[in-house]
Amino acid sequence: MRLDIIKRSFILTGIFISFFFIVSSIAPAGTIDLFTSEKGDIKISGGTAHIPVMKDAAKQIMEHNRDIRISIAGGGSGVGIKQVGEGLVDIGNSGRKPTDDEIQKYGLKLFQWAIDGVGVIVNPQNPVKALSKTQLSEIFAGKTTVWKALGGPDKLINVYTRDNSSGTREVFWEKALDKGEITDKANVVVSNGAMKTAVANDPYGIGYVSVGHMDNSTAPVILDGAEPTIDNVKNGSYKIARGLFSNTKGEPKGLVKKFIDFLFSPEGQQIAAKNGFIPVK
Amino acid sequence: MKERFIEIFIKSFAWLSGLLLLSAAFVIIGFLLVKGVPTLSLSLIFGDTSPADALLLRRQVLTGLFPAMAGTCLLVLLSVGLATPVGLAAGIYLAEYSRGNLKSFFSLFYDILAGVPSIVIGLFGFSLAISLHHYVKEIYPCLLISALALAFLVLPYLIRTTQFAMESIPSETRLTAPALGATKLQNIAYVLFPRSLPGIASGVILAIGRCAEDTAVIMLTGVVAAAGIPGSLLSAYEALPFYIYYISSQYRDAYELQTGYGAAVILLIICACLFLAAFYLKNQLMDRMLYRQ
Amino acid sequence: MKRECFAETGFLGAAVLSASLTALILIFMLFLGFPLFRGGCFFTLLTTPWNPDKGLFGIYPMLAGTLSIVFLSLCWAFPLSLGASALISVIAPTGFAKFCKKTVQMLTGIPTVIYGFVGVFLLVPFIREMFASGSGMSILSASLMLSMVISPTMILIFTDTFESIPASYSAAADALGASPVQKLLYVILPYSRQGIFAGLILSVGRAMGDTLIALMLAGNAVAVPGSILDSARTLTAHIALVIAADFDSIEFKTIFAAGLVLYVFTTSLILLVRIIGGMGMKNR
Repeated sequence: MRLDIIKRSFILTGIFISFFFIVSSIAPAGTIDLFTSEKGDIKISGGTAHIPVMKDAAKQIMEHNRDIRISIAGGGSGVGIKQVGEGLVDIGNSGRKPTDDEIQKYGLKLFQWAIDGVGVIVNPQNPVKALSKTQLSEIFAGKTTVWKALGGPDKLINVYTRDNSSGTREVFWEKALDKGEITDKANVVVSNGAMKTAVANDPYGIGYVSVGHMDNSTAPVILDGAEPTIDNVKNGSYKIARGLFSNTKGEPKGLVKKFIDFLFSPEGQQIAAKNGFIPVK
Repeated sequence: MKERFIEIFIKSFAWLSGLLLLSAAFVIIGFLLVKGVPTLSLSLIFGDTSPADALLLRRQVLTGLFPAMAGTCLLVLLSVGLATPVGLAAGIYLAEYSRGNLKSFFSLFYDILAGVPSIVIGLFGFSLAISLHHYVKEIYPCLLISALALAFLVLPYLIRTTQFAMESIPSETRLTAPALGATKLQNIAYVLFPRSLPGIASGVILAIGRCAEDTAVIMLTGVVAAAGIPGSLLSAYEALPFYIYYISSQYRDAYELQTGYGAAVILLIICACLFLAAFYLKNQLMDRMLYRQ
Repeated sequence: MKRECFAETGFLGAAVLSASLTALILIFMLFLGFPLFRGGCFFTLLTTPWNPDKGLFGIYPMLAGTLSIVFLSLCWAFPLSLGASALISVIAPTGFAKFCKKTVQMLTGIPTVIYGFVGVFLLVPFIREMFASGSGMSILSASLMLSMVISPTMILIFTDTFESIPASYSAAADALGASPVQKLLYVILPYSRQGIFAGLILSVGRAMGDTLIALMLAGNAVAVPGSILDSARTLTAHIALVIAADFDSIEFKTIFAAGLVLYVFTTSLILLVRIIGGMGMKNR
């Protein structure tokens, strides 16, 4: 048993070393090399749409240099902005532009590194795949309560929403619901990831999520004829769009600046594109 | 006739509730084991890093459960390390020094502390960190704050088990050393404390289990979704129970969900082992006391 | 002698330190929630709904959510625990009773988050399909799982009480030719009334203080629940959700009100247990 583990670890190490050599021999010298002699911690929190990109970026950087530690927490855009403002984290992400008040109060510096949309999702089993804005508002206000009224099964509609600190909620509420009411009977989930999981598991659920997070576990809903895809956000035919921001308190310095630079580098922008967002460069 | 009916009714109700509870428990554990055990493997824990490198901290594990397990271990060590000396000392005071009103006053406070919901203790830890942050810039919710808050959580259990273990020492044993001229402190240090060690140890182990499983406290005091092995006491960290909660609400794909099941089985195994250890020690204590009496 | 004195002071210091934590937590809650008490709006908070968009920050829906989940979970857990304890202490053959008790003791060691995890993937889909109303994240799901969490402790308290009846009582009943069930009904239960009550109250505190089950299974909606299939939010889950969200705002201050309510509730339960004679406590 013991021997087996040792043997396996040797093989794994071997694979890893050869993999490392291959990668390092073909990878062009890029922004990642900026991190080579760095050391220290970066603390990131806030927007949950950002998390996959942050994780991938952190992984690349930490694989490159093990003296750098990057911790990533969620919480929502509101948390990100306040935590970075209070100096509790180095980078506070937000899925909405911080308000002028927030920028002034905390002396925030904004970095928008990608564009994203917010789209409505339902379970793939649900036959209702297109809605008008009015229908959507009535669903979220709790006025339309059965799928049958929309051509679906004779089941109650389970509305999912986000907590108040969510930037996704804010954008959705402003641009899709025109600041209309969201029923207080709605189930509340804590992140974009949790929204997707909840709707993927609930055949009669409806929710809204960052376009970058959509995959085939849920089905996008065509809103007023426009499908929430990244292409439609790009060409402007899908209107519920927003920027993804990483904010720092004052001008970023040292390691944090390098991290922000990395997000804007070809490697960083490629990570954003891979995760379903529109790169800004 | 009526008596007979009542008798049958009560008997069947008792059997029914007992079996219902047992079967519910077996369904829960069985479900977890069936789904979780097949996922257990070295790559679940270490991802694509080699275990030797990970354990020697030569490389960071970025896709496995290793950082969460290490975080939980560090957390448990720190919080139990902080709570045990204070808890034992307070327990000894309660058992050996305090009398009457003072004793019931203290024990009331400990009972209240034991009853305070863990989320409230987490909230306390969080606000402590935020208040301290205004004075010391380096302090924010982190490993140290979580460990402190967890120490507060288990302190009353430690105090009460210590007190109980010391008080249940038979008076023959208790009086021997003083009769031979030992002082009170000598009696405690050489007779009473060693004799109650199994009971105290089982209390400590239960406290370890409590720290390992608690999620409410740590989610307010510094645990995050991704951090790697914490570099210092003031870093954010990952932990197994939080990972399980996090995955349950927001797994990205089938593989991540699998790791959630794996994490749950690992946590279950850890807690079961701790529990069995505590149980064994407690039984030893019982046996010894029966034998000596 | 000096060392004696020194040690005693040390022990006393530890005891005072631990006891002062209890007070310190209360003081922190009061201090940070203080802005809410000015103008007496603390009690308004307890009776108004939560809708930050409209400037309403009341915690009444969470209070209602907590009470309904706690009440319902006790409705499942109390009879079940009473029945199971009777089985273990009186009715079952010795071997099986021992097995049951060991299992129950093991169950107390299962992490809450694991109950929640299984609940999400097993119970919630089941409830959703079974009742075909709502998402399955409901008071019902949360209370069922919560009853699994509190039952083991309740059973252990009950069996301890049942087994602590004086041997002479038990022998008297046996001598009169009472059947096990008669002994349970006329000797054990009347004698254990206080212990049962204490166990029940401690379980209320436990159920009220639990965060994870409600957070994971109850759906967290901020409406006052109208049926057991509705989604609801407890005070504990509210603290977890809002803290994840914010600080420095009124919203954040209201979670100290929620914390305070929980603190006061659980403290009064402990006091109640003491007042009814502390019998349950002494046996623990």
